[in-house]
Amino acid sequence: MRDVTTTVAAGDSIAALADLRSARRRNRLAKLHWIDALYQVYLTALFGGGAVIIVSGLVSGDELSSSGIDQVLREGPAWLGVLVALAVAMGLRSGARGGPIALEAPDVRHVLLSPVPRQAALRGPAVRQLRFAVFVGVVVGAIAGQLAVRRLGGNFLAWVACGSLFLAATVALGLGCAFLASGRRLRPWLATLVGGVLLVWAIADAVDAVPGSPTAYLAELAFWPLDVDPVAGLLVVLAVAAVVVGVAGIGGVSLEAAERRTRLVGQLKFAATLQDLRTVIVLRRQLNQELPRPRPWVRERHHGRFPVWHRGVRGVLRWPAPRIGRLVVVAAVAGLALRGVWEGSIPLAVVAGLALFVAGLDAIEPLAQETDHPGRREALPLPEGYVLVRHLPLAAVVMVKVGIIAAAAAVLVDPSVAAAELAALCILPAAFAGAAGAVISVLMGAPEPSDNWQMLPPEVQGSRTAFRTVWPPLVATLGTLPVVFARVAAENDSSPWEAATTAGFLVVVFTVVVAGWVHQRAVIKDWWRSQQELAGLGGGGSSSSSGDDGERGGGRSAGPGSGSASRGGPARTSRTGGKPGARKVTTRLERP
Amino acid sequence: MTKRKKKPQGPAPVLVADGLAKSYGEAPALAPLDLEVARGESVVLVGHNGSGKTTFLRLVAGLLDATDGDVEVDGHLAGSLEARALTSFLPDDPVLYDDLSVREHLDYLGRLHGTAGYDDEAAAVVERLGLTDRVDDLPARFSRGLRQKTALAIGLTRPFELLLIDEPFVGLDLSGRTALIELMAERHAAGAALLVATHDPAYVEQAERCIALRQGEVIFDGAAGAADVLALVS
Repeated sequence: MRDVTTTVAAGDSIAALADLRSARRRNRLAKLHWIDALYQVYLTALFGGGAVIIVSGLVSGDELSSSGIDQVLREGPAWLGVLVALAVAMGLRSGARGGPIALEAPDVRHVLLSPVPRQAALRGPAVRQLRFAVFVGVVVGAIAGQLAVRRLGGNFLAWVACGSLFLAATVALGLGCAFLASGRRLRPWLATLVGGVLLVWAIADAVDAVPGSPTAYLAELAFWPLDVDPVAGLLVVLAVAAVVVGVAGIGGVSLEAAERRTRLVGQLKFAATLQDLRTVIVLRRQLNQELPRPRPWVRERHHGRFPVWHRGVRGVLRWPAPRIGRLVVVAAVAGLALRGVWEGSIPLAVVAGLALFVAGLDAIEPLAQETDHPGRREALPLPEGYVLVRHLPLAAVVMVKVGIIAAAAAVLVDPSVAAAELAALCILPAAFAGAAGAVISVLMGAPEPSDNWQMLPPEVQGSRTAFRTVWPPLVATLGTLPVVFARVAAENDSSPWEAATTAGFLVVVFTVVVAGWVHQRAVIKDWWRSQQELAGLGGGGSSSSSGDDGERGGGRSAGPGSGSASRGGPARTSRTGGKPGARKVTTRLERP
Repeated sequence: MTKRKKKPQGPAPVLVADGLAKSYGEAPALAPLDLEVARGESVVLVGHNGSGKTTFLRLVAGLLDATDGDVEVDGHLAGSLEARALTSFLPDDPVLYDDLSVREHLDYLGRLHGTAGYDDEAAAVVERLGLTDRVDDLPARFSRGLRQKTALAIGLTRPFELLLIDEPFVGLDLSGRTALIELMAERHAAGAALLVATHDPAYVEQAERCIALRQGEVIFDGAAGAADVLALVS
């Protein structure tokens, strides 16, 4: 056997690593076609240029008056400070979970397990990531600077330079914090705490609740063309220091976290590209190690009746503490945003709607798991709609609790009987709409590859994609309508409670329609497919109950195995919503 | 079968686990484990699925962070630079670069470990594993078995004092299996300690020591035959 110990001191392993990477780069470049590369550059320039032109149009207008500029100087740094705090918080959380570098799996297995100093092995990827992020920061900052000069006046170059410097420094600070947290193996809870405190402080400063958040001072760098505050230069100093210290200690990264991240980040990006929100959620939970509790919070007794309900309850009772905490925070955000709507900031309804949508995605977890594993659902001798619709009551119960927390948050900001009455009126519509939006999102799933829509022009496909993206959160946002109507009624000297009640009733009716869609979805899809076949368009894709049959985390489900029961003949009739089949099996399954 | 502990005799152990424990959230994967493996010893790890075999190997390789306790390879903490130089880990899922050929894998990864790269010894291992004709092909197009053979070639052509192998025979054909057993025996004869996790009772006969795990705890540690192993894991 060779003398193993001699390899430890071998300095040329770093040179070997450089050779390995250059060989891979060479192989990749050899495969890359220059027309593809040029096409990518063309697309980037086209869409980037288009975005700049559109945004430039949006901010066009006269220069602000001196009082307007004073207001920008007063309030602007605090709001940009939120951006700095967000970068730091995201960096700390990412680093505490093995980020921000997402190495390839063979790099973790072969390079990081070899006797090459890890600091040397990771420095290259870290610098590359930093370089790209800072470059993007410089470009976006420069664009923001040239937009700012139109309304705020002053020297064009100064605005462009300060915009670039601010955003590049912010990005570098975030990444530096991530490297620090990763190399020092900061505990995730500590990263969340530090980042959360910084972020809440920055937001509170921005809404004038508390003064003097540190990030607001740092963000004054962006406003140097108007007023030079040397303290703001600390942002650059801090960013450089965080990057230098972070990269120097990057070798301390946990391989367990790095490997987990390596495995999941690629899938996460792919799912996000496909707009498969449910898969993104599942993968993010895996990335954050959000596992169900081995023991439920409360032991639940099951007497054999309502198996779908009890299956869901048991799942919810095993929710880990971070998920419950997230629901409480999201509920509080929704409540505070709705309070803002009632106070007159109508656009905050969008924030509240999105918060309700996010809460809904957690609340419908048992139903979502049915769609994750269509093969398992197919194995049940029950129609799809029959099973899915029985998951909705639990989602409604969870969302009502979310609504109660939101209402409490909204009332506690400035307690009054009127606010409490309005909040109580809005709980049900908000809860149901949040769940409805999430249900629609999960059941729509990702677009099917064999979809007939793929044959349509890109403009039509784009519109459909936009609809698929916007529709579910829009449905959730409908839950804020009672507060919006109440506000509008109050402004017009009408009764806000009557307006809220009317709007709330309509929202609840709409969510009942959504529940009906869940129950009859398979039948509707079958009908639609048969109409397409009649029109000579072909069925396209899979059968009704296995149309979205990708087993998440397990590849596509076996078509013949899982789908055959729902295709053709009597089986199909009994699986797509026929009452006789459902009644017969229900008796058998629900027997005590 | 009686449960007995075996303390390695003679030279200092190459592997020492001291109160080594691992849990995922509240779920324990490995109970606090005290274990020593002597230099040049051949050990087989057996146990049901989920018994902790893979977790133990990955902790020794430095791929997992211990929840408690620590594990040392020749006196160096697992995962440290020195321990990495002494350990060769072959996991059950072969992970290879898509854009490097077998030859490039052996060349560059070998050089990371201080060897001359794709030399005569590497060529001999490749030939014995039946990869000579595929040495310039990309593993991305390989079957599971060929990928496993490539990973084995990478792991066996580098210097090591401790070889950790997780389910080495999965996906291998008969000739590959025979070649692997011979290669492991040669490395063992040259003084390397082997720690092999397997469900294959036949291989147990060839190991000097058998450690059986159940739910993360050692339930047997000593010499054992195939029949004993079947009794332990059934």
